[in-house]
Amino acid sequence: MTEATVPSAATSSEAIRGWLLDRVAYYLECPSAEVDAGVQLAELGLDSVYALNLCGDVEDHFGLAVEPTMAWDHPTIEAMTAYLAAELAA
Amino acid sequence: MTDLLTTGATRLPVESDAALERIHRLESLLGDPDDPDNPLGLRAVLDADERGELLPEGERALARFGLGAEFVPAALGGRFERADRFALLMRSLFRRDCSLGIGHGITSFIAGLPVWADGSAEQRRRVAELLCGGGRVVAAYTELDHGSDFARVSLAARPAPGGYLLDGGKQLVNNIGRAEAAVLFARTDDRPGSRGHSHLLIDLEGLPTGRAGRSYRYATSGVRGCLLGGIGFEDCPVPADTLLGQEGGAMETVLKVFQVTRCVLPGVVVGVGDTQLRTVLAFAGERRLYGGPVSALPLSRSVLTDAFVDLLICDALSMVAARSLHLLPEEASVRSAAVKYLVPKLLQDNSYRLGVLLGARSYVRQGPYAGFQKAARDLPVVALAHASEAVCLSNIVPQLPRLAERAWRPALDRARDAPAAPETLFRLHDPLPELDFSRLELTTHGADSLTGVLPALADELAREAAHRPEVAELAALAAAFTDELADLARRAGSLSPRDRTLVAGRPAFLLAERYALLLAVAACLGVWRAAGTRDPFLADPLWATAALRRLAERLGPRRDPQPEPVVEALFEELDGRRRDALTFDLFRTGLATRAVPAKGVDR
Repeated sequence: MTEATVPSAATSSEAIRGWLLDRVAYYLECPSAEVDAGVQLAELGLDSVYALNLCGDVEDHFGLAVEPTMAWDHPTIEAMTAYLAAELAA
Repeated sequence: MTDLLTTGATRLPVESDAALERIHRLESLLGDPDDPDNPLGLRAVLDADERGELLPEGERALARFGLGAEFVPAALGGRFERADRFALLMRSLFRRDCSLGIGHGITSFIAGLPVWADGSAEQRRRVAELLCGGGRVVAAYTELDHGSDFARVSLAARPAPGGYLLDGGKQLVNNIGRAEAAVLFARTDDRPGSRGHSHLLIDLEGLPTGRAGRSYRYATSGVRGCLLGGIGFEDCPVPADTLLGQEGGAMETVLKVFQVTRCVLPGVVVGVGDTQLRTVLAFAGERRLYGGPVSALPLSRSVLTDAFVDLLICDALSMVAARSLHLLPEEASVRSAAVKYLVPKLLQDNSYRLGVLLGARSYVRQGPYAGFQKAARDLPVVALAHASEAVCLSNIVPQLPRLAERAWRPALDRARDAPAAPETLFRLHDPLPELDFSRLELTTHGADSLTGVLPALADELAREAAHRPEVAELAALAAAFTDELADLARRAGSLSPRDRTLVAGRPAFLLAERYALLLAVAACLGVWRAAGTRDPFLADPLWATAALRRLAERLGPRRDPQPEPVVEALFEELDGRRRDALTFDLFRTGLATRAVPAKGVDR
């Protein structure tokens, strides 16, 4: 969680989605296979303030500054994956 | 004009600080609390409370003073310039009557914030004009079914031709029955998530007949004079230009601007503790037991001096928090929650202990000292209002691991680039830059330069103690708290995943509580260190050492009472301030009390 990964070809959509699934599963304390990437984080049981935390994790992992509200504006793992893939490619 | 402010040993820069001059003017306007003929005195306040009404003479006097303009930023034509000075002004009113303070004040201050932060130029102008002209705007957030759970607020604003249709209700809204305008927190999107709510600035007087009712009033145990009402809407149309800020943006705005209120309200409520302590101190000086005054008994004396020290702690923390809104706004999300948690808690504990000392007079609603029971009923309402202990702590918990990693560890490692708050944060009379709402952040990103000063100050004190024995104990306490910070950092870093979320267990909440105590330590040390020569009491290690000892007592197993000479010195200061009618806070300013020693009023 602490080392920033240098953005590279490895940060494909697949890698981003996989990392987000792992991260959400970590907070929910469940296997990542049980997390539905198409469902709103709030419905998964992750409240607004938690979603703010996830943005901090994203910054740490991808070395990318994102708005704390990223997970509010892109409220599913799929939506966040698309957003982050575009940001990292930019 | 400066007599009240210069009575004590403290010399305040009143000529160069217009806000201090207004605080003095407000105090003079309220007049002697103990004068039974003062229409704004304690007797009149208590009678109004019994009748369940806001003291009408009080409302008129505050209108003449132009209190509404104090809520409006100077840039918009009002007089709000500094959060710390604003808290002091309102503190003066809260010493007298919480009901007036809330019912004629705080509620409009809260409602104004989302407008200043998010409103269009026209909306800001309109609300500024309304408040400066003595009108009211109310903050309509609460729904009894959802409590503090804003995310589930259900009053709906559905899109309709030309604007929105409102359906649903708000409850426990101060002044809703008589205000001209309201800031309404409404659901504009049914989907879950944090973008489902919007603020609407509605004109309460222009609502179509039959579509909105606002005549209900709730009876309460404290602040009984406040007009807490409700409003209900049924397919009520409001125009599109009522939207305040972005559609879906209200949750973000709330989480930002409520940092301001959470930093300001605790400093205001210190006034209630001042009044309670003053009342019980008068009783303990007058009532005789075992051949002397009650206040000469060691146990009573320690209850009184502990309450005094706690007031100083509360003031240091709330003043530093209010100043940091201007100086370190990006750190305010966690700090505001910690202050709003700890200050009401300390005041509430002292209210109970002082009540025990006062005995039966603590609950009798007539006769001498009757002011105490009112303050004791008002305090829980005022303290719970706006953000409960649980809400505050749950705002801190998720941020703990990152604070530990990015702020506390570097400070503990004495890293060269470890962030430490500038000294001006602690210099209570230093000017402040304008409060910039756009710099408030939803999270701190791990920044905490207030706690960051603790290890460095402990090191400085340790060196100093070698040749200044009077700071030896303070140095030892500062070192112990630095060890506590290291322990907190370790525990915060090893919180389980679930304990980093809102459903965290009790251990995570305990860490947040301990963190708030450490912030108070840093604030007290900082204020003491920066006190300079203006106030000899503030610069004396006596109070700072006593404060840290009190905080150590709360933190854990260390339960050393204050040594007797310390209690004696603190009592001398406390009782001297009572005789001279000076406040018990960090500022030692003059009160309008004329006839001391007073026994309180008979009603």
